[in-house]
Amino acid sequence: MDTILIKPQRRLLAAISFLFLVLTSFNQAFAEADGAKLFKQNCAVCHSLGDNKITGPGLKGVAARVPADPWLFNWIKNNKEVIKSGDAYAKKILAEYNGADMSTFTHLTDDEINALVAFVKNPPVEVKTTTPTDEAKGPKGATEEGVNPLAILIGVIAFLIIIIGVLRGVTHSLKNIQNEKQGLPEEEAVGPWDEIKNWIVTHKTTTAVIILIILGGLLTEGWYALKGIGVYEGYQPVQPIAFSHKIHAGDNAINCQYCHSGVEKSKTAGIPSVNVCMNCHKGISSGPTTGTEEIAKIYEAAGFDPKSGEYTKPQKPIQWIKVHNLQDFVYFSHQQHVKVGKQDCANCHGDVKTMTVAKQVSPLTMGWCIDCHRKTEVPGMKDNPYYESLHKKLAEKYKGLPKEEQVITVAKMGGIDCGRCHY
Amino acid sequence: MNKNVIRIVSAMSLFSCMTIGFTSCQKHDENSPGVEFMPDMYRSPSLESNMAYTSLETGEEKQANMLPVKGAIARGYMPYIYGNDTAGYSNAGKYLRNPLGRTEANLKQGEELYGKFCVHCHGATGQGDGLVGGKLPGAPPSYSAGALKTLPEGKIFHSITYGKGLMGPHAPLMTQEERWKVVLFVQKLQNPGGTAPAAEANTVVPAAEGAAVPAEAPAEGKK
Repeated sequence: MDTILIKPQRRLLAAISFLFLVLTSFNQAFAEADGAKLFKQNCAVCHSLGDNKITGPGLKGVAARVPADPWLFNWIKNNKEVIKSGDAYAKKILAEYNGADMSTFTHLTDDEINALVAFVKNPPVEVKTTTPTDEAKGPKGATEEGVNPLAILIGVIAFLIIIIGVLRGVTHSLKNIQNEKQGLPEEEAVGPWDEIKNWIVTHKTTTAVIILIILGGLLTEGWYALKGIGVYEGYQPVQPIAFSHKIHAGDNAINCQYCHSGVEKSKTAGIPSVNVCMNCHKGISSGPTTGTEEIAKIYEAAGFDPKSGEYTKPQKPIQWIKVHNLQDFVYFSHQQHVKVGKQDCANCHGDVKTMTVAKQVSPLTMGWCIDCHRKTEVPGMKDNPYYESLHKKLAEKYKGLPKEEQVITVAKMGGIDCGRCHY
Repeated sequence: MNKNVIRIVSAMSLFSCMTIGFTSCQKHDENSPGVEFMPDMYRSPSLESNMAYTSLETGEEKQANMLPVKGAIARGYMPYIYGNDTAGYSNAGKYLRNPLGRTEANLKQGEELYGKFCVHCHGATGQGDGLVGGKLPGAPPSYSAGALKTLPEGKIFHSITYGKGLMGPHAPLMTQEERWKVVLFVQKLQNPGGTAPAAEANTVVPAAEGAAVPAEAPAEGKK
């Protein structure tokens, strides 16, 4: 009995001591992380732990550079005081950064600043950022090579024709063998073309029906093929930089208008200039799927040197390939559709948030435009003083109609008049 | 017999030719949109935005998005006299005042603009916890704590205009009026309790004595 009782007690003791150990080690980890956390919150916006410059200098080997303690403490707390005191080193960096001084951190406690100083002097060994796996890169190169169903059909037909030919040959030779045995003269081979001719002559109606069916099929196919000319639904060109809308607008939930900021102010939504890319990519130099490869192309276009954090190289425009191209004889304004019509981007551009490579999902044909103009109400018109009198007039005009027809659609405002888009 | 063999061989070669013919048509240029009916109506000589074109004079390739003629002033352009330097920053804090009133409509529009242009880094409540903010080397500081809690409106506007630290300039994305609306909303986030920010001075001083007035007119256009 005794031994049975002792065992759990021992285990309990062991468990408690283990827990204690874990807790104390956690505590230590927490004390260390404090400096790291403070650094990320307060300093990392301008300083890196490496030797590259962001806004302020990189802090690698800072302890060896700066004067002896407590200089760094005082500098972090209130660098303006240090500058005022006439400190030589302070003056030197101020001159180096053209008089741009650092923010003051008087709101941090002394303990917090000490933790920061300790962290900056002995930063943790940099954890290597995971390089993108080949798996993630995989589907980029492999384009789908589907087999045309028409080719399969024609292949099958050709195969059948060959089999018929072979079988005909076989029957013919068998018959001749039989004839030879029976002492009959050899039968002359009838060419397949002659046989078909004979068949046509004897089956005139069937032939006519078959010809009509084939002709009808060809005509419809041809009609649809003609209708597809100039319709680029599904167009998905490869862009000079593998920009992914999925990562930006989907995973990171950046609003469409952050980059396409002209959409409410102009005819075109606009392709963002590189400085808009640099608003984030000045700090983010590695992406989740392509690593640094694609983002380096932005730096090259912007003339940005990631090492010094400055724009020192010549700029090169990025030649993006236009996906949605309206013919020159159509006037289309994004401003009117988004600002007044309150149309969501996805109504025409589809679910861009899920697209790795941008794709045209709408046909952009005139029928498609008019279809929407017939169905869509203009919500931005009601509370817009510019359209007040027009809205009143139209509401009066369609008063007598059944309820569902009273909706003032784009078409009712003249939105399907020729001159509205073609002028 | 010989005739039949010839026939079979020729039929088979025809078949293989057809197979090769049909499958080799599979690969097409992904960057070609397809057949264009009257291409000159799709690609007219008049320049569209963001287009590259070949200069008729020199024959070199040019970008249709060109810089405005030197000295051109955009419609609705408002000059901004504070320079992108330390003196400009501190002077903007001292003298620059919001021309817009703290009205419900302005705040609402400010919130909308904040949702488009700021939220992904600064987070919905201005704590610097946006999805992109977390991926930056350092998250943006909180509006409602530390140094930014009492940041005057002029400095907020100045920071949006020229950028600060890792943040890039947002003057090209928003007009001055829009930026002031964002400032109104940011001030709301500085004081989540709902108290109006304490005005440092009631007098509106448009220009600063020490402000570095740039020699060339559009200070905003600079990177």
